[in-house]
Amino acid sequence: MPILQAEHLEKTFAAASQAGAAVAAVCDVNLAIEVGECVAITGASGSGKSTLLHMLGGITRPTAGSVMLEGIDLATLDDDALALVRRRRIGFVFQRYNLLPELSLVENVALPLVLDGVPFLQSNAAAMSSLETVGMEHRAGHRPDELSGGEQQRGAIARALVAAPAIVLADEPTGALDSVNSRRVIELLHRLAIEQKQTIILVTHDASIAREAGRIIRVQDGRIESDLPSTGAPR
Amino acid sequence: MKLSQRLREPLLLRHLLFRQWRNRPGRALTTVASVAVAVGAVVATWVAADASRAGYRRLTEAIAGVPSVDVSARAGGRWDPTLLPPLVDLPGVRAVVPLFYRPTLLRVGEKRVREIAVGVDVQQLVATGLLKMQSGEACTRASEVVLSSSLAEGLGKKIGDEVLFFARRGVRRLTIVGLAEPESMRWFAEGAGVIMEIVSLEDLSNAFGTIDRVRVAIESSASRDQVLAGVAARLPASLVAEVPAGRASLAEDVLHSSDLGLDFVTGLTVAMAWFIVGNAMLMNITERRRSLALVRVLGGTAGQMRRFVVGEAAILGGLGAVLGAAAGLAAAGPISAGISRALQAPAASLLVHPLVVPVSILLGTAVAVAAAWWPASQAVATDPLEALSQSPPKPGAGVSWKLIATAIVLWGVAGAILVLVIEEILPPRASVPAGIAMMLAFVAMTPVVLPFLARMCARLIPSRWHLEGTLALEQILRQPIRTALTTGVLVVAVSNGIGLGHAIRDNVDDVLGWYVRMLRADWVLTGTGPAPAAVPNISAGKGAIGTETGSMEEALAGLPDIERVEAIGITMGRVAGGACVIVSRDIPDTLPLPLNPIKATEAEVRSALARGEALAGTALARRTGIQPGDTVAVEVFGRTAEVKVAALAVDYTSGGSSLHLRRDAAQKLFGVRAADIWLVTAKPGTAASLREPLQEIAEHNSMLLRSLGELKAFIDRIIGGVVGSLWAILGLGFVVGSLGVANTVTMNVLEKKRTLGLLRAVGMTSRQVTRMVVLESILLGVAGGLIGLVGGMSTALYIQLASQPLLGHPIRISFRPSVVAVNLGAAIIVTALAAWIPARRAARLDLLEALSSE
Repeated sequence: MPILQAEHLEKTFAAASQAGAAVAAVCDVNLAIEVGECVAITGASGSGKSTLLHMLGGITRPTAGSVMLEGIDLATLDDDALALVRRRRIGFVFQRYNLLPELSLVENVALPLVLDGVPFLQSNAAAMSSLETVGMEHRAGHRPDELSGGEQQRGAIARALVAAPAIVLADEPTGALDSVNSRRVIELLHRLAIEQKQTIILVTHDASIAREAGRIIRVQDGRIESDLPSTGAPR
Repeated sequence: MKLSQRLREPLLLRHLLFRQWRNRPGRALTTVASVAVAVGAVVATWVAADASRAGYRRLTEAIAGVPSVDVSARAGGRWDPTLLPPLVDLPGVRAVVPLFYRPTLLRVGEKRVREIAVGVDVQQLVATGLLKMQSGEACTRASEVVLSSSLAEGLGKKIGDEVLFFARRGVRRLTIVGLAEPESMRWFAEGAGVIMEIVSLEDLSNAFGTIDRVRVAIESSASRDQVLAGVAARLPASLVAEVPAGRASLAEDVLHSSDLGLDFVTGLTVAMAWFIVGNAMLMNITERRRSLALVRVLGGTAGQMRRFVVGEAAILGGLGAVLGAAAGLAAAGPISAGISRALQAPAASLLVHPLVVPVSILLGTAVAVAAAWWPASQAVATDPLEALSQSPPKPGAGVSWKLIATAIVLWGVAGAILVLVIEEILPPRASVPAGIAMMLAFVAMTPVVLPFLARMCARLIPSRWHLEGTLALEQILRQPIRTALTTGVLVVAVSNGIGLGHAIRDNVDDVLGWYVRMLRADWVLTGTGPAPAAVPNISAGKGAIGTETGSMEEALAGLPDIERVEAIGITMGRVAGGACVIVSRDIPDTLPLPLNPIKATEAEVRSALARGEALAGTALARRTGIQPGDTVAVEVFGRTAEVKVAALAVDYTSGGSSLHLRRDAAQKLFGVRAADIWLVTAKPGTAASLREPLQEIAEHNSMLLRSLGELKAFIDRIIGGVVGSLWAILGLGFVVGSLGVANTVTMNVLEKKRTLGLLRAVGMTSRQVTRMVVLESILLGVAGGLIGLVGGMSTALYIQLASQPLLGHPIRISFRPSVVAVNLGAAIIVTALAAWIPARRAARLDLLEALSSE
């Protein structure tokens, strides 16, 4: 049974002005993702790949269709229930890291657990463990503005992993990084997918990064143009 | 979520909160400062308004004596005092004093003097401090009498001397045992100079066991309206409670409408405080919309987010409220002292209502929490992706029909309440919240009209500042709610200033115009006493003390260089079951009428007065329903006569509860001949030379001589004090408004740090940045000022209409460019100054730090 399944997924954005036309960002998308898969969604800018990822992660509600995560239809959940699902079952990694500037790295990583009411010592220990996984435990007490871009993104990955989610969604995780740091981040994600059987979906417009995923879904004009196994995925 | 988790959650999120404050102290401090400014303003205004009211009260007491209410027979005439229920236990009641009046004749040597004797429980009054003896003691026996010291002086009598007292039971020889201070008699004696034990006077008058009225003295801190209502509730149907005519003096009229103005100012300050706090909270949250959205994406529930934001608002709001209350109290002392000085009233120790501080702190915190709730809900409801994006929030789209509908509803409510107030279905005080609702309607319309006004004003910016002007305008248009809240503070401050400024000036001009017309003379002689302002009101009533009116008139007319002598008599009476003042005066054919008749020509009124008809004050007509052409029964000292009302007139005598007759008609109808005031007009250029002979006559007749200039200066001083105190509180509103604007602009700069950094990075000079921030503020000031101008003129109209039941007549509203210019100028200067510090701060931003900020 797929861990994540989308059926007839659509997203239409209302017109910005009365004169303008509505924009269909995603049209009739069907896909299924199995446990432990590492999937890259690629496409040109504005093709709808990020919107598709946000719908899969329950950040944006679809206009039509359904998203089933571990058998739960996300469309049937209210906002708070959806928040609980995101908190416990989904890990997010963003292009611009999105760490809270006020908090130290370990506090940022512990945030999903704090929101879940996990006691301080417990959440702190889990956050440290997650930082060790990404090799950032030595920077735990630093604030985001004291870290490089690559370090911040690895911290963001640690945060995505801290609650042991069913799936990690990464939206252009290397978009703001130089080539060295991009390489490190991608290697980290693949290591997680292989060693921890972590399901990962990443959105990227970089073909070389996409090739390293096990499966590549190409999106154009909001539709899946192709959905093929990658030939260059590391084993 | 389990309860235990929910209880633990604030502790966990508190950490995030503290970190945020530590990391961005400016934002937290500005929020605390905003709440402190708002709460401080409320406390300071509240205490200052209380100080003004206390000052007004002391001023009124200094002029009119002890505040009181009267109980008398509904049908008029004397009545059995056993009908009176116990009243002394009512809150605010200082003493219950039965009174018995008896016009009489005193014979001193060869002189015969018309006088009014008043019977009271003299010992009780002296014991309670309500009657002060200058010398001697209270009378206790039927053969003893107390005279006012001025009357005794006029008669040349001292303690131990005797006077002959003509009464129904014959002539009695009475021994003077005490001399009373005239000022302390004024509140109950109605011009009488002779005081006797009430039982003795009743007996002498063949009216044993009856009284004319009971005067209930009120504690100076109590509300007369409340005591009046309490007394009225206990009385049997045959008795009626009312405010004594003649107690409502000229000064009190001014104070009464000013009191309404104080309520209005206080209410608007609270509204302004609400805007400031609301704006601070809105900015505090919108600035962090990205962080909040991130926490949402990471799994924070809507409830968690709200609790987080509201918890923060409670902490910052509570801290700000405590600081503000302390600052407000610290400021209240000097403000109150200043108001006391302005009112020239005796300074009293600073009285702070025990509720002021706790209510202000609770209100400040509650408003902060309530103000945070809406933006918190907005932040929670915002699409997290939109919030996470780097782009600023989208500008508001088009006209908000909700706001227009809100404004229309508020205007409708205000209009409906105004109609009910004018129709006297609701008390005048009800117009205060309604007026504030009207003001809020203008604020609600602000986001609707502000873009248009801001664009219009931006066109006036010189072309060499085009870039700064365009960016400033863009910032205003992009943040419609915040801009509207900031402008709302200015709209309220300017409306307040323009509205109350017009209302006060129009009222004052109306009063000044009235007394100049009423007291048209070079010299005014009145009964002794320290109350020239009470002359028109008029309870001094020394009558023809020491001499017959005729001889006084002859003495005055006999002086060289006299062009004209006019006499005015003031008598207490009852019309249509209510107390009123009967004003009898000479009305020479060669002079305009002393009052302005409504809907009648001078000629018509003059001939009607000659026929013995009367002019009724507008307040009396309003209270009793008297219409021109009606014939009413008028009772004066037990004598009742039918009097036809020729017309109504605008009058401030006794608050307009007056009936004006020609002197000869008053004598014919009621036997009233004595004059209380003499107006002496000198031939041109000779006024100064009359001081000496007039002073001699005044001293001989125990009267007080004042030039019209002196009288005018005294009245001007009182009015000036009242007006000054109101302006002081209005000024406080502007100071608060400027602090609110400063906070808003500071927050704007903090929030736009990245944008400003970007602008500096692409080549904008620090001077241009400063100019842009200041221009943004000035645009807000001009737009807010223009909306405030419309709101202010509406407020002026509203106050005048709402004051009608108080004053009894409408007051013409004049457009006063100086008031408008002062307020608009103040709004623009205040906003420009308020923006200066944040503008400099923006210009000095560290580029790298600004660009890396989120």
